[in-house]
Amino acid sequence: MMDDDPRAEPERDDRILETMAARLALLLARPLPPALLQPPLDLVMTILKRRHPGAFERLTELPEAEIVVDPIDMPMAFRLRLGGGEMRLSVCRRDDIGEPAALVRGDFAVLLDLMEGRTDGDALFFSRELTVIGDTSPVVALRNAVDGEDIDMLADIAAMLGPFGRLVRPARGAASRARSSLVGLHDLLLGPALRRVEGVERRLTRLEGR
Amino acid sequence: MSKLSYGPVLFNWSPETWRDAHFRIADEAPIDSVQLGEIVCSKRAPFLAPHLPAVIERLQAAGKEVILASPALVTTERERQAVRELIESADLPIEANDIGALPHLAGRPHMVGPLVNVYNEQALAWMAKRGATRVTLPAEIAGPAIATIAAAAQALSVEVEVQVFGRLPLAISARCYHARALGLHKDGCQFVCGQDADGMEVTTLDGEAFLAVNGTQTLSQSYHALLPELGALTGAGVTRFRLWPHACDMVAVARLFRDVLDGHAEPGPALETLRGLLGGAELANGYYHGKQGVAFAAE
Amino acid sequence: MGAFELICPAGTLASLKAAVDAGADSVYCGFRDETNARNFPGLNFSRAEMRQGVEYAHARGKKVFLAANTYAAAGRFAPWKAAVDDAAAIGLDAVILADIGVLDYAAGRHDGLGLHLSVQASASNPDAIRFYQEAFGIRRVVLPRVLTTADIARLNQEVSIETEVFVFGGMCPMAEGRCALSSYVTGLSPNSQGVCSPAEHVRYEERGTQMVSRLGGYTINVFEKDEPAGYPTLCKGRFVARGKTSYLFEEPTSLNAIGMLPELKAAGVVALKIEGRQRGRAYIQQVVSAHRAAIDAFGAGRAVASDRLGAVTEGGRETTGAYTKAWR
Repeated sequence: MMDDDPRAEPERDDRILETMAARLALLLARPLPPALLQPPLDLVMTILKRRHPGAFERLTELPEAEIVVDPIDMPMAFRLRLGGGEMRLSVCRRDDIGEPAALVRGDFAVLLDLMEGRTDGDALFFSRELTVIGDTSPVVALRNAVDGEDIDMLADIAAMLGPFGRLVRPARGAASRARSSLVGLHDLLLGPALRRVEGVERRLTRLEGR
Repeated sequence: MSKLSYGPVLFNWSPETWRDAHFRIADEAPIDSVQLGEIVCSKRAPFLAPHLPAVIERLQAAGKEVILASPALVTTERERQAVRELIESADLPIEANDIGALPHLAGRPHMVGPLVNVYNEQALAWMAKRGATRVTLPAEIAGPAIATIAAAAQALSVEVEVQVFGRLPLAISARCYHARALGLHKDGCQFVCGQDADGMEVTTLDGEAFLAVNGTQTLSQSYHALLPELGALTGAGVTRFRLWPHACDMVAVARLFRDVLDGHAEPGPALETLRGLLGGAELANGYYHGKQGVAFAAE
Repeated sequence: MGAFELICPAGTLASLKAAVDAGADSVYCGFRDETNARNFPGLNFSRAEMRQGVEYAHARGKKVFLAANTYAAAGRFAPWKAAVDDAAAIGLDAVILADIGVLDYAAGRHDGLGLHLSVQASASNPDAIRFYQEAFGIRRVVLPRVLTTADIARLNQEVSIETEVFVFGGMCPMAEGRCALSSYVTGLSPNSQGVCSPAEHVRYEERGTQMVSRLGGYTINVFEKDEPAGYPTLCKGRFVARGKTSYLFEEPTSLNAIGMLPELKAAGVVALKIEGRQRGRAYIQQVVSAHRAAIDAFGAGRAVASDRLGAVTEGGRETTGAYTKAWR
């Protein structure tokens, strides 16, 4: 599908993921209206569905449930709606979390590590770095679906982002590097980020048309 | 004609209490078969041995079928030897409560106890082929599955027995929780399990009644009680019903179940009578109804 | 293969690859249904994924075993029959079974498909093992976690088939396959549905700064802030008996017998098994490589490092479990 296989360079996968996550984090850090954040989040869902139909199906086939993922060191949380044939990711303010089926809480870096499959969710739970409140079953299902996939989804994003994916060269190591690189990335990324989403969508459309 | 069976005493009763309880069953209870033997902890077995002949004799004289129950968890050489001796020396039928008893019973009529996993008609057929004449089903099997197995059993001429009364044996371990709770080890346990005639009560951190510990065994704290369900079980082809021995008036419990089976008592009021005999203890029947075992579902 | 065959868990294709890459000799996994004892939401293999997994492992000279180790439901034998037949068709190397009905079905049916006796069968003595061997031709038994190394050594003197033991991971203090604690409060059991403490019956609640874990509506533990936690199973819960609150059955802890390789070797154990099909691939990668290194070091007569896995253990604690007599 791609001209060059992004998986050939595993370190780049890591960087891409950090880039995406950092960008979202940056966006979150700004007092932007949540509606403006929806396009990149929808894009993540679109890519998941396209690249990982198995995982996507597993998640959409679950009983309907809402999980709030709350990175405690970020100003906002994510709301993930699973089941009932679809899946939707949005952001929510911490004072508007409501009563989701489950709440997953931890440092942004911890949650990022978990998403990357770099760390074991059970171990984080045992050490209390990760908190789960409410019904554990959608959380377990989500974890299993995410963990069962290689992170080439993010490599895909990178390939589609073109040079954007190579702009960042944070040090290799723990996921905290994503957070520590935030300051340096701030000026570089914040402006172009939203415009770039449109470009990515165009590229996605082209790819799907092949 | 459905029969009542009196399971092996699971608790560490004093030898005299154990003997007298069986004498009373022999003399007064409408019980058809009695399982004898220490199946939970091999350390307790020597204490019962001196009274065993008299108890067997008294039960047989009263026309009860006497069955020797083999231990539930066999790990040491000494325990293994005890199983072999039990089976080789006995001229009484044996109930196997560990798979390890089965090779010694091949081709000889025997019973398979509730602590051996028979969950389906395939396993039942296999047991029947090997000489099992009666199989007591594990506690967690629900009504429809019991019916399926009982139907298969009729074709195989195997009798199916179902647990209908008592705290349910839920788990067995190599570790002694009675000793652990009192800061002791299994070696050097001081037989502290003997302090709780129906098991040591375990509550949750919120103070809810929950489990009962009996040495290496963990039981439900609620008393499993299938009385309104007896009709459906009988209709499905279950022919024998097991009562687990407890410190309460077991003769009265046996009479209650007999009366309901014979149509001489209504199941609803009988449940209330049973609750009274247990000093108001919680009853449970969830497993039969496909729910959590602790649930008590009105039919 | 080194001093021991290393048997590793996989709940997903990604984990299977991680296990193979990290040095597993064999990987065990289950189909995505109630035929296996880790029937968790979103976990386990479709037939297509299993085919890919077997291909990946075989291409690297590794084996794949199917865990079909629940007890078949009465009147509904088809899923277990299909699991055995599909394992053979896909080319798995062995099936790990517990139910006598399923064993009877599988015995001698498919050439090249070995039969292993699951830990769920709780065959804890030579007589029980001999019984399964003679009746169904099992070629390996996974020993229940109730035996000491001395028990295992004695057992191996009498048993002619291979013995496999758990070396790392979650540990049942109860005899496996003979525990109805989960079904008592949730209605679902490891034996029948392949789940212990199913996620849909687990809830965590915040009570001030404390975290309360509830199973089937019962409070099974209360953790202070930052106090290490474990799985929400009854056997690792805190209860009150005789007025005293304690971990009555077992603390939140994981088995770690990596330091006992000499004893296990002397006891005649052939294969070492890591628990954790429900764990993430980060766990698989870390735990499998640590064991690969340990087995290789042991095989070469070097010292075995045993202190590298604390972070992935329940409650941050380790035990050698029933392998040492004091545990009892």
